[in-house]
Amino acid sequence: MSPPVAVIAPLLVVLFTAILTAVAHRSLRVQRALSVLGGVAYLGAVAYLFARVKAEGTLVYQLADWRAPYGVTIVADDLSVFMLAFGSFVGVAALAFAVVYVDEVGQRVSFHPLYHFMLVGVTGSFLTGDIFNLFVWFEVMLMSSYVLVVFYSGAEHTRAALQYVVLNLVGSALMLVAIGGLYATVGTLNMADMARRLADPAAFGITTLAPVLGLSVVLFVVFALKAGIVPFHWWVPAAYRAAPAPVSAALAGVVKKVGIYAIIRLYFTVFAPADLGELALPGFSGSGPLAYFGPVLLVMAIASILLGGVAAVNRDDIDDLLAYSSVGQVGFIVLPLALAAFGIVAGVDAPAPYGDVAGVSGLAVLGVTAALVYSLNHGLAKSALFLASGAIYDATGTSRLDRLGGLAERAPVLSGGFFVAAIGLVGIPPLIGFFGKFLVFDAAAVAGSELALGGALAGAILTITYVTRAWNRGFWGTPTEVVDATRTNRTQVAVVVVLAIAVVGVGVAFDPVLEAAIEGAAAALDTQGYVDAVNPDTTTSATSGGGHA
Amino acid sequence: MTEVVLAAVLGFLFAVGTFLVLRRDVVRVVWGVSIISQAANVYLITMSSLGGAAVPFVSAGGADAPATVDPLVQALVLTAIVIGFGTTAFALVLTYRTYEEHGTIDMLELADGTEEAETNGAVATDGGADE
Repeated sequence: MSPPVAVIAPLLVVLFTAILTAVAHRSLRVQRALSVLGGVAYLGAVAYLFARVKAEGTLVYQLADWRAPYGVTIVADDLSVFMLAFGSFVGVAALAFAVVYVDEVGQRVSFHPLYHFMLVGVTGSFLTGDIFNLFVWFEVMLMSSYVLVVFYSGAEHTRAALQYVVLNLVGSALMLVAIGGLYATVGTLNMADMARRLADPAAFGITTLAPVLGLSVVLFVVFALKAGIVPFHWWVPAAYRAAPAPVSAALAGVVKKVGIYAIIRLYFTVFAPADLGELALPGFSGSGPLAYFGPVLLVMAIASILLGGVAAVNRDDIDDLLAYSSVGQVGFIVLPLALAAFGIVAGVDAPAPYGDVAGVSGLAVLGVTAALVYSLNHGLAKSALFLASGAIYDATGTSRLDRLGGLAERAPVLSGGFFVAAIGLVGIPPLIGFFGKFLVFDAAAVAGSELALGGALAGAILTITYVTRAWNRGFWGTPTEVVDATRTNRTQVAVVVVLAIAVVGVGVAFDPVLEAAIEGAAAALDTQGYVDAVNPDTTTSATSGGGHA
Repeated sequence: MTEVVLAAVLGFLFAVGTFLVLRRDVVRVVWGVSIISQAANVYLITMSSLGGAAVPFVSAGGADAPATVDPLVQALVLTAIVIGFGTTAFALVLTYRTYEEHGTIDMLELADGTEEAETNGAVATDGGADE
């Protein structure tokens, strides 16, 4: 069978774009054209992959034809393509914005190659089926993002980047430690092979799974750091404020979701079937990693929602407000994941269509679906808001709320885009945000968790508060001096409007999106299907080395 | 015996790295980070069945292959070392740039700078096209 090239097409397209834009640095015009064309081709490749996966099911590409588990496997299943689809859309929208936003010198020097390399890392992380390969893609993504955060190299930017770099370097070392430990314990790096071995350790000569819980906790810290979940959120505001607006949009809209994706993929697909025995920890009951991560995720999610929301309420700077808001919104993404973990541990069912997926708890499907839909919502709305904030900064020279005011009068279209994306965050029907919040509340109700319901409710109220405050102070009222002289860039406004239309459009045509999200959730929870698709060689792998003899 | 020695060395390296990361001087922090990542590499090497284990995939005709150290982790470590080179170089350049911008590489003085800037209301929030 010929390997499905569709699987690596997005990776190749964006990688070649990155290289070409680096080569073409002499002519800004050529470089920009290549960058945008490459972005469009990338979208096309992702759309093609999406269609292929929907038509044929999970597609697997064995790099250099080395069969799993020996080679690196690239896997595109319903979960990967869902994340990839909205990630690429947001990424390319922010790229189009950057072309007219980032100054010419900056674009010529390094912006385009770096941005595309970041997309390479994101794409690779979504598609890889190998845990060490995931580390490498993370590094590709991070290294580009280091430079993009410090892009303007001013006082603020170097300080924020220093924090961001040191933190992520320590995170990378931790990730290596966790991966090495998992390899020594389980004897493989391939995710499908690992899931298979964890489900039935005795068949592969694995004597103990006890270290897996601790190692998965170390790994979880790294992913939580990437996703900016409390208590690993403190790098978020400084980094988002320092990065150029389109980069902040991509960081909040796409790069954060890589952390979320990694949590879903590893903890719900790979680690979930492991039987670790009854947890000997006070306050936890049940067996398996999810019995541990369920309560932990719940506490972290509610802490994120509350801390992010409260901190966002009294910010005086739009970018700052958006950064804290994204800490809170990530809480909304993680909250249903915690409930999904409860669903798996307790076997809670949910009504159709979530309960229709055979073999898994309905609540788990509902929870992961909610997380995916909310990720989509946050990706679209938050990147639209960051880009709107960038356009405002470009037009007025400030993003401080006390210096702004009356923007709705002077820049009505831009303000309209901001407004739509903002109420998308709040969750007004028929916008996508409504369905995201609705699913989160639905999951909390099905789980019967008052704590989750209360936390989500408090978070929703806080969201309304800070969005209203930003709108009242920045957009209503009489125009201030800086606002009076406003001249918005048409292309910048157009990109914001496109994202705002997506926020509305995805909400209006929600049925296919929900269907794709449910399929993604089902794929995330279907460990056996994932293993069968990748098909790690069963005849010889049982003797593979790596374990401490 | 080897494993005990290596475990002790690793613990020491991680401890030194952590200690340096918590220093005020940015250069020491970068040193600390690079020691931690090197310690992680050494740790990876120790994951390779130091006493020797079955060869991963020499089955046909290789039944009498001697027990070897798992070569896979060495490939992993090579990758990690290369990544470590890049990031350490970048972190050092960033340190220099930080020194140029702030005139100091003391963490506390850098943090003080933030507070002053915020109270003056003159935080350079986001670079626009005009920078």
